[in-house]
Amino acid sequence: MTITIQRGEVVEVARGSQRRRAVPGMGLLDSLGVVWKHWRESFRQNRDFSDIHGTFTEQYPDERPNLPEAYRNMPILLFDDETGHEFCTSCFQCQRICPPQVIHMTQAKDTTTGKAVPSVAEFIIEYDACMSCGFCAEVCPFDAIKMDHHFELSTSDHASLTVHKQELNRPVSYYQSIAPTLWEEAKAGAYKKLQGNIKRRPDVIGIAPHLVDRIAARRAELAAAAAAAPPPPPTAPAAPPAAAPPAEARKLTPEEKAAKLAAIKAANTAKQSGATPAETPPAAAELSPAEAKAAKLAAIRAANTAKQAGTVPAAEVPPAPVDEKAAKLAAIRAANAAKQAGTAPAAEVPPAEPAPVDEKAAKLAAIRAANAAKKAAAEDNETERN
Amino acid sequence: MLKTEELQINIGPQHPSTHGVFRMIVTVDGETITDLKPVFGYLHRNHEQIAEQNTYLQNMPYTDRLDYFNSMANNQAYAMAIEKMVGIEVPERAEYLRVMMVELTRILNHAGALGFLINDMGMWQTQLAFGMREREKILDLFESASGARLMCNYFRFGGVVRDLPPDFIPRLKELLQAMPAFVDELERLLRENEILMQRAEGIGILPRDLALAYSVSGPVLRGSGIPYDVRKAEPYSVYDRFDFDVPVGTVGDVYDRFLVRIEEMRQSRRILEQVLEQLPDAQGGHINPKARQNVRPPVGDVYARIESPKGELGFYLVSDGSGKPYRYKVRAPSFINLTPLGDMCRGYKVADVVVILGSIDIVMGEVDR
Repeated sequence: MTITIQRGEVVEVARGSQRRRAVPGMGLLDSLGVVWKHWRESFRQNRDFSDIHGTFTEQYPDERPNLPEAYRNMPILLFDDETGHEFCTSCFQCQRICPPQVIHMTQAKDTTTGKAVPSVAEFIIEYDACMSCGFCAEVCPFDAIKMDHHFELSTSDHASLTVHKQELNRPVSYYQSIAPTLWEEAKAGAYKKLQGNIKRRPDVIGIAPHLVDRIAARRAELAAAAAAAPPPPPTAPAAPPAAAPPAEARKLTPEEKAAKLAAIKAANTAKQSGATPAETPPAAAELSPAEAKAAKLAAIRAANTAKQAGTVPAAEVPPAPVDEKAAKLAAIRAANAAKQAGTAPAAEVPPAEPAPVDEKAAKLAAIRAANAAKKAAAEDNETERN
Repeated sequence: MLKTEELQINIGPQHPSTHGVFRMIVTVDGETITDLKPVFGYLHRNHEQIAEQNTYLQNMPYTDRLDYFNSMANNQAYAMAIEKMVGIEVPERAEYLRVMMVELTRILNHAGALGFLINDMGMWQTQLAFGMREREKILDLFESASGARLMCNYFRFGGVVRDLPPDFIPRLKELLQAMPAFVDELERLLRENEILMQRAEGIGILPRDLALAYSVSGPVLRGSGIPYDVRKAEPYSVYDRFDFDVPVGTVGDVYDRFLVRIEEMRQSRRILEQVLEQLPDAQGGHINPKARQNVRPPVGDVYARIESPKGELGFYLVSDGSGKPYRYKVRAPSFINLTPLGDMCRGYKVADVVVILGSIDIVMGEVDR
């Protein structure tokens, strides 16, 4: 029977030559010859793909495997070395695509308004159930999640395989060191998007937790330079309490509500005062946008610190008076700074042609800061009573 | 002849030579097998049901876990099914890359399968180690291209995940240069080896008509003398552009299946050389034009099949128009090839069972799903 197929033929495999079979034991000797050759060559190191002889064993623990760039093990999160900004904007793409559904994230909220912001508050990956498919890194539009090369993950502590944001964060320089070409391809786009995000939402893009101190100091410097204000820059975030675990973070909701309420109240007052401009001397001031920003920043920071100061003693039963004091001080300072920023130009500029947006922003910030400080004080009292 | 009492024994489910958790209920009369009943299901992981809960793209890494030796082939069959359903055009370079990866998979599968077959015969690890070394080189290539050695997850709907790294082609060329020496050596080591011949010749014969009746495929079918290869019978991807032969056996025993696999490795190398010759550069179009996260095929069903190293691997998908498959069925070659095991073993000795099982080349991950 012959069957014709396209571009090739059907070949019947030969079942061995009769010549060899005539001498019994010939095939066995041949086999032994092969084994002998390999044994002899096994004393030679060979990493050449074109040769089939020689040992090519990697002496693993001493000799690190030469992993290709594309190698993927477990996902990590990237942040910028310089500024500490996290690339993640909590867009939930990776959480959605993850086949075993091991990615969980919480979107960060603006502490004053309570609105969701493009930054991630908590990011959890269950490494124990992750199947290393790399989809998360593939779909991430911001190049925030990448696949790590670190593979020695064995541990006797199962719980440690549920990895939180602090442990997931890696600087860009680390990823660049393991996958230079891949990062080179992604770099421009990633930074462009990050810059865009920072521009749009200046104070809310997440910062790697262990860099908070450094970043805060640097930001304070910048703010001081921008405002050119004589008082020292608010140093409140320089002593941030350890990031609250997620369970405690969830308990915050009533306080967040209070913050929101305060913000609304402040906005209302601002509106009211806007209706009666004669009563508010600083409102007439014309602020430069940088100053307004600085004031706002200070206000938000003050609110943050106040909140932190309020929550941390609640979590730990004995209240830490130093933190409280520092927070209060910072809040007052921030309020002062805000006031100054508002009042200083008022002395120079005659109260004509008010720029409504700037004015309002400055006022709002000042009021918010004051409120926050008040609230912090009230909360301190409460915790002391408790 | 002395008549002895029949005895029923279990081989497996936990047995070193069952290639996973697989149980055989063997009825023996002395040393001779009178009946054998394969029992599947010990590695059932609900694959198909899970797949119906996932979106189409999310299933891609799960297909890796079917036949964990040949993740690239599984990926291709699944990607082809979706592409057929949605009507996605695959860029030419991507098609060539796919063929390249699947043929490499075939080589590594056969190298491993032969190694395990010899291991089952009691020659221990010698041959296995030789086969594994070549397999290791191929896995290195897979790792540099896809990022993982076994669970490659390299194919996407309408292409592959990324282009080859710059050092891939030179290394592949080196590997192809080494291939003939490797296959020749393998043949010299085993083909005429009296031990292997005694264990393999005339053992586990699967006659042509029985092979057809059981609808086995792949090297098992070709070993029985039927020149059926999906790559030739229904050329998919770009297989119609390559010259290669279809090796067939004459008797249908373990030895024929062994020889067919060796010859297939040579033919795969031939295909790979043609792929390297014809491989278009990336200028013609991006190999992964668009990440298709949310595929919504029109209502209907589709069956796509490829010649995986173990036989005809098919994916049958029914779509109800949503982002998840309504029904997802895998036609797993290992499973179908395993069904005639009872007929293949009847009349042979107990010691032959493991050899016959080894010659079918099963992966339990695919059998039980």
